[in-house]
Amino acid sequence: MEEKKSNPGIPAWGTPAVDTTTREAAATGENPYTQWYEVKKGDTLWKIAKEHYGDGSLYMDIFNANQDTLSDPDKIQVGQKLRIP
Amino acid sequence: MKHRSLFTAFLSMAFAALMLAGCANQMEPAQKAIADIEAAITAAGPDASQYIPDELQAVTSQLADLKAKFDQKDYKGVLAAAPALLTQAQGLAGAASSARQAAEAARAAALEALNAEWTTLSGTLPAAVAAIESRVNILSKSKKLPANLDAATFESVQAGLADSKALWDQATAAQASGNIEGAVTTARQVKEKTDAALAALGMTAG
Repeated sequence: MEEKKSNPGIPAWGTPAVDTTTREAAATGENPYTQWYEVKKGDTLWKIAKEHYGDGSLYMDIFNANQDTLSDPDKIQVGQKLRIP
Repeated sequence: MKHRSLFTAFLSMAFAALMLAGCANQMEPAQKAIADIEAAITAAGPDASQYIPDELQAVTSQLADLKAKFDQKDYKGVLAAAPALLTQAQGLAGAASSARQAAEAARAAALEALNAEWTTLSGTLPAAVAAIESRVNILSKSKKLPANLDAATFESVQAGLADSKALWDQATAAQASGNIEGAVTTARQVKEKTDAALAALGMTAG
């Protein structure tokens, strides 16, 4: 499981995702109605929040819902599956 | 001539007496035949009127015809028709019992289906409501709605969410009080609303 380090000069939610091995989200005990999003190259949490909520500044809601797989909102990986609460 | 006339009168009286005696002989069996039919109808009990009303009506209607014949002193007619009607009346109890058992089995199957549906709905709807509520709460903070969601649709989703939560409370209360049919009926309404909300929000099951 390789992760590319983020650029410290870019805001955490602004670092684009890079190609890495897909990390599957744990499914056990999940709400079956949870919407999942697979990270694509160039995605950021801001961009994902903007797409789903219309407002990129709500990216922390996505980060908070994925703390089992995300330790830093700056570090998302291509192929990673994120809950969209 | 006088002797002949007397003899004719005697014959007429004798014939009439014989006829009366014959009628009297048939009256009691006719009365008993009607009583037997009535007893068979009574033995069928309330199940007959509840589960086989048409068959019961057919028998009681024919019984009324027999009684009319009896009132007209047509005992022979009563006795001719009574055996078939008695057989029909005696069959009512068994037919009613079979119909009751079939109805009870159908009710049990329907109840089982309702319980199974409730298990499915109660296992999924709270999660659907929670997922919608989570999304609605986040979207409520958004400065601008996503491209695939207009303000009117979002307002409708918000109203639908409030309705869904209220209806779900009603459904669980109905289920707790043993009203499984009411619980499932209400839960189906919740499912319609949550399905609509999930579609409007573009949320697909994970």
